[in-house]
Amino acid sequence: MPPTPRNRGLAVLPIVLGIAGVVALAILPKFVESPYALQMMVLFFLAVIQGEAWNLIGGYGGQYSVGHAAYFGIGAYTVIVLLQSRGIAPWWGLFPALMLAVLVAAIVGSITFRLRGPYFVLASIAVAEIFRLAALNWKQLTNGAEGILLSGIPPLVIAGVQITDFSSKVPFYYMGLALAVVTVLVTIWFQGSKLGYYLQAIREDQDAANSLGIPLTFYKNVALMISAFFTAFAGALYGLYVGFIDPQTAVGLDISVQIVLTAIIGGIGTILGPVIGAALLVALSEALRSNALTDLLVGIGIVNPASTIGQFLRDNLSHAHMLIYGVLVALTILYMPDGVLGGIKNQIRKRRARAAAGGAA
Amino acid sequence: MTTAPTEPILEIKSVSKHFGGLAANSDVSFTMDEGMILGLIGPNGAGKTTLFNCITGYYPPTKGEILFKGGRLNGMTPDQVCKLGMVRTWQKVRPLAKLTVLDNVVVGALVRTGSVKEAREIAREQLHVVKMAHKADFLAGGLPIGERKKLEVARVLATKPDLLLLDEVMGGLNPAESEDIIQLILDIKKRGLTQMVIEHDMKAIMRISDRIVVLNSGEKLAEGAPQEVVSNPEVVTAYLGEAHV
Repeated sequence: MPPTPRNRGLAVLPIVLGIAGVVALAILPKFVESPYALQMMVLFFLAVIQGEAWNLIGGYGGQYSVGHAAYFGIGAYTVIVLLQSRGIAPWWGLFPALMLAVLVAAIVGSITFRLRGPYFVLASIAVAEIFRLAALNWKQLTNGAEGILLSGIPPLVIAGVQITDFSSKVPFYYMGLALAVVTVLVTIWFQGSKLGYYLQAIREDQDAANSLGIPLTFYKNVALMISAFFTAFAGALYGLYVGFIDPQTAVGLDISVQIVLTAIIGGIGTILGPVIGAALLVALSEALRSNALTDLLVGIGIVNPASTIGQFLRDNLSHAHMLIYGVLVALTILYMPDGVLGGIKNQIRKRRARAAAGGAA
Repeated sequence: MTTAPTEPILEIKSVSKHFGGLAANSDVSFTMDEGMILGLIGPNGAGKTTLFNCITGYYPPTKGEILFKGGRLNGMTPDQVCKLGMVRTWQKVRPLAKLTVLDNVVVGALVRTGSVKEAREIAREQLHVVKMAHKADFLAGGLPIGERKKLEVARVLATKPDLLLLDEVMGGLNPAESEDIIQLILDIKKRGLTQMVIEHDMKAIMRISDRIVVLNSGEKLAEGAPQEVVSNPEVVTAYLGEAHV
């Protein structure tokens, strides 16, 4: 019989490795000054926050929301609009932004969580589209399709001391890192809590969960509200960092899809899955943007750069990230249904089982 | 105890359940006293599982009333019914496949406590009761059918119920496994829990039941002590005929 041992207590090694990793990331800007490298890291942290946030309701709860762009957009738009048109500093603007996202999550959840499976997925897409169309058409507030260009962030001054004037990428690096660490810690807490147990029970079998005393909609709603909180936080950071938002980049369907992919590719319902997914997706989208993929195909001689196909790829592959993501999801679901992390875990489990069987024989 | 010992724990009063034109249950009434085992039998399609679903809040009954510990259950959801102390198992077992055996039972225990640590202790006790403590760290999805059935029982016991509804917990088991479950049901009875048991195995149901209710085509055909019921000619023709020839 293959035992499937699971370490319940917090082992020492992961804690030490985790702390070491965070410390290394915290001192990284002291050594790395390349804005390009810092840019990549900020995008990575933002992806981690979104992936972990989605993981709570999507990965643990099995409620595949493809509408998290709504919360991302609410975070970005609220903070940016308050700053740009009312002059409210972003650290104050964050409060209404996060509260609004949580409130919207509570309302959306109580309506859409009555639906199950594909119907819930469709409803979540529809809700996000409503917010995208609102951002597009409510021009007095959002400036419509033109978007909002931020003219500047006021310097952060605490007790007369200027902490930062946001002129470099470093403050965003640290904000991203801090929030990414917080979302990972929240996920660790969540996994061992009553809430986490209940969400996993709901994912595995809603009727069984209900019969064991779990009010389904209530617990799904709580998880969605926490998820929306962090997703909106990431949206606000993103808006401030890039300094420009429009309906497509802040509330577009791509955002929702990317968030889901981050978790699925890394491994849903695991603590580190979204971190791995974020690293892979940020690297991939950067490779696509800089046309590295075409260069690679040309470099290994598959494609002749002078040919029609070569030209076509060079012109189009950098915009084809959605297509590539689609292929990636198909491959993940076919060959690694539990994501990269789940795939590795399954391999280890199989090997252990084989070793145990060999030992017994 | 100041309450009258005669007050029933469960009262089913003229319950009917219609799906469109089909009457899955019509005008079913019976009561259960605390501590008893009631066997619910009848041919396939007699409405046994539908009645379970009505009692535990999955379907609202079309007509009639269900009283549990004196309180009306109509309109309550399954989770509310569970919190009141009544819980059911499923004919087709529903393990939380990607959770371990222990975590499956922890989920049940969490209805009575907010502390996961305490829930784990309760869960370990219940795994001992069903003799599955050695399987605590296995994934529930990988268990053979006999152990899945026992896991279901451990999971509902962890919710600390007063009334258990067991839907064919012996279905698909071999004689040794069935015997295990029979012993388990009798053990649970000794601990003072009330149980309603749907079962097809007549020998088993005769052994464990204090009282038997026979359903046929959604109606109550007979009710009584096991010996009375099997000698009732109506029951014999409707249900037991072939088996007893």
